[in-house]
Amino acid sequence: MAAPQQEDAQEFVFLDLERRARSVCTPEGAIDGRTGEAGTASWSASQGSASGDDLERAPPVTIALQVLVSGLAAGGVYGLFAAGYSLMYRLTGIVNFAFGDLVGLGIFATLLVLAGTSPVTQSGAHEPRFLGALAVGLVVCVAAGIGTYVGLVQPYLARGSTIGWVAGTAAVAFAIRAVIGAAFQRSSYVFPDPLPFHRVGNAGFVKIGGAEVQARAFFVIGLALALALGSAWLLERSRFGRALRAVSDDAEGARVVGVPVDLVVALAFGLVGALAMVAAIAAAPGEAVNANTGTLLGLKGLIAALAVRFGPPLRAFAAGLVLGVVEAAIANVHVGSWQLGASYREVLPLLFVLVLISVWPSRETLEERE
Amino acid sequence: MSAVALGRTRAELGRALTEVRAGWRWPAWLAAAAIAVAALVPFLSLPGVRVDALAQTVYLAVAATALGLTVGAAGLPSLGAGAFMAIGAFTSALLVARADWRLEPAALVGALAALGAGALFGGVVRLRPAFVAASTWVLAWLVWLFLLAFPSVSGGSQGLIVPERNLFGLDATPTVHFEVALGLLVLTALGIWAVRRGAPGLELSALRQAPALATSLGARLGRRRLGAFAASACLAGLAGGLSVQLAAVADPASYDPFLSFKLLVAVLLGGAASTLGPAAGVATLGLIALVSDPLARLLQLPLERFDAAVAALLLVFVLALGGGGIVPWARDWLARVGWPPAPARSGQVTVCYKEDRASAEEAGDESALRAQGLRKAFGGVVAVDGLWLELVCGRAIALVGPNGSGKTTALRLISGSAAPDAGRVMFRGQDVSGMPTFERVNLGVARTLQSLTTFPELTALENVEVGRSVRRHYGGGIRTALATPHARDEAERGQAAALAALAIVGLEQEADAPTALLTSSERRLVALAAALATDPEVLLVDELAAGAGAEELERIAEVLARIRARGIALLLVEHNLRLVRLAADRVIVLAAGRAVAEGSVAEVAESPAVRQAYLGTQAL
Repeated sequence: MAAPQQEDAQEFVFLDLERRARSVCTPEGAIDGRTGEAGTASWSASQGSASGDDLERAPPVTIALQVLVSGLAAGGVYGLFAAGYSLMYRLTGIVNFAFGDLVGLGIFATLLVLAGTSPVTQSGAHEPRFLGALAVGLVVCVAAGIGTYVGLVQPYLARGSTIGWVAGTAAVAFAIRAVIGAAFQRSSYVFPDPLPFHRVGNAGFVKIGGAEVQARAFFVIGLALALALGSAWLLERSRFGRALRAVSDDAEGARVVGVPVDLVVALAFGLVGALAMVAAIAAAPGEAVNANTGTLLGLKGLIAALAVRFGPPLRAFAAGLVLGVVEAAIANVHVGSWQLGASYREVLPLLFVLVLISVWPSRETLEERE
Repeated sequence: MSAVALGRTRAELGRALTEVRAGWRWPAWLAAAAIAVAALVPFLSLPGVRVDALAQTVYLAVAATALGLTVGAAGLPSLGAGAFMAIGAFTSALLVARADWRLEPAALVGALAALGAGALFGGVVRLRPAFVAASTWVLAWLVWLFLLAFPSVSGGSQGLIVPERNLFGLDATPTVHFEVALGLLVLTALGIWAVRRGAPGLELSALRQAPALATSLGARLGRRRLGAFAASACLAGLAGGLSVQLAAVADPASYDPFLSFKLLVAVLLGGAASTLGPAAGVATLGLIALVSDPLARLLQLPLERFDAAVAALLLVFVLALGGGGIVPWARDWLARVGWPPAPARSGQVTVCYKEDRASAEEAGDESALRAQGLRKAFGGVVAVDGLWLELVCGRAIALVGPNGSGKTTALRLISGSAAPDAGRVMFRGQDVSGMPTFERVNLGVARTLQSLTTFPELTALENVEVGRSVRRHYGGGIRTALATPHARDEAERGQAAALAALAIVGLEQEADAPTALLTSSERRLVALAAALATDPEVLLVDELAAGAGAEELERIAEVLARIRARGIALLLVEHNLRLVRLAADRVIVLAAGRAVAEGSVAEVAESPAVRQAYLGTQAL
């Protein structure tokens, strides 16, 4: 088990996303983006470490630790997406179905500047160049978010046409997927790693309480928490944050007292994308990314936000963290020989949230009645 | 017994035939001719036309037409129609491939599976449209991810091979599939057309435009919307279950969320407001693909990516043009040219209005409704604090008081749109406190809303017809789709009753006017007529005279007098004291949720408690 893992440590630093990307994003039998052998090796390595003999022999505490750390790292990313959905809903009453793909667009714009559309080599990730690429990606993501709001959300909100913004944002989602898929025609790509995590511990893995967890996971958790708490603080304290809260309480009232509502909301639509994108990129290196990456991250964020009915952004963030841990638990925890396994991790949370909002509606979610 | 039933059936069929002949005009000829020509297409062996692709397109049109019911009529933004096709397709494919079933029962079970999945959305369709859209989006991904994650079900990347089967005793060639799909499309379109122009369609439309008003008139939001959603899921499942056999392989890749999106694009492109719009949208997408597919090959772009981009662009384009869609645009254009001429309403209908209730004379001075110690608090604010009142048939009580004194809350407690914290509402000796609004409307407690709402896209008469929801017994979706004799009779009677209700408020001349063109006090009267059309014994009227001019007050007072003369008990919430003086027998003054004075108008006007409530304790 150790040998393939060391060879490919960089490539599956982020175990959960890695396996998601493999087992679900790319259909069975799809050709890996990298050289065939490396791909196969890392596939078997991630299988081996997740559900193979290794974990079954490991004591429960070890599994719990691994589930917790990898789950929180994945959940931190989901959480920022969820907070974004929730903020957008509270500002406008809409669900931005293009959100995940807008972030995906930013990720691929970054990748394009870093390495073009060819497979990435590690030499591409020099720090200055990486920062430049990241800046380009962020600008693209923010601009696309603002453009979506201005072009396809605001006009239909003003007209009171629900189907207009639903179809409009979904159209953006599928258009972006089409563009990414057409430009990046391999089934998956490796995101370069600017930070030297592979030098930490045992090829990027550190041992805590018998559990081997990835050093990157701690970085992602910390970054996601910092972004979430920082933006929550800004929402509370800054002038921009106050304007946002005013709009979400009462958009007409805010307009009357001089808040430039459309501008503030458009900016928010761009900035939530930037926040989610930074977290997604922090988690992305070594993971196989493709046109579905953004979409699926967005989907996870959406179900976390739905679970708390688009409640306050911090609550949505927490729901994202919970979702990450639940997914990791579904994939890895076993009771005796009984285990749900990786196939269920994608499906069960979606099903659960559908049942949840259908069976327990709240006053905020129900259609207005008399 | 059976001879009598047979005779009646024959008579009804004869009547239906006469009606069809009377209503058979040029659009019917056009449609019949179009269907006949379409049915002949596979036999013409046109160059460049593949019959199997054509049949698949027609199956897709069936699913899109069904989605039109959800999106257009019910106003539910569904991003998950493809998921129901997938459920139907894989259920039927698994039954045929693994259990060796025949195709017809397998497709039927596939449709039932989709129907079941649609019925599970019963909780979701009650939610705001944003949540409906999000849930259907999650469903579309859920089904696709499930198929990818469980190769044992979906056959993995190779898909599930579906062996050949007969279809209705014939070799299931593409031509047979095409004819079956065409038949299914015609039946689907006819059924949905009947539902949309009938009572369920009217209710769906009302619920879409103003859910609060429609539920106050007794329309059942959850049930009607679920009916539309589940029916369209079932039809999509049937189309999926049949089309998968034609494709010979059930491949998860062809049921990704893009399929759902493509169906939605077809609906909006063709026009959600029209029954034939979605099918026209599918046809247009097919024609565009004839051009765009060679272009994609020329540019060496992946075909499915190119299709997605084209569909998305097309949708954005349609939305930017106002979102009407091809069929409504064509209809508007034809109407501008003056074709076809609008049919004139045939004569004036005169009916006696009250049908199944006691008349004013029989009712006498009977007590109709009692409120006993009603109390309602919102957080720390007590809106209604121990309200007792009794409504008597043919009498009018006015509830007056300053803003925020709890008048409207009292009406909501009595009508059932809010639940009291304490106290009871008794209707004819029956405790109705726990009943939802539609059941109370059904018993005979109706209410108008304070806000100035009508259903803006409907005519005055249609607005009033919405009030007939609870009085229909044969107006369900299936009966309306089949146009059973009972359903048709009832539709006629309902329209007559609605006209009579309009006559009571003096607006029968405006029956065919869209309410958007009426004045605000006329719109209030239309809303009153709609409440009247529910055939109530107790009518709760919230601020009928708000914003009415002096000369209009007399007219309103006359209308109220006419209503009282029918033996209906009235409770008026009113700010306009002139109207109270004209129309009410007794007045109850509310202040901070309590009744502070009660009596005739003159008595109450003298009461010091009333002066205090309105003007405060300070001397002026």
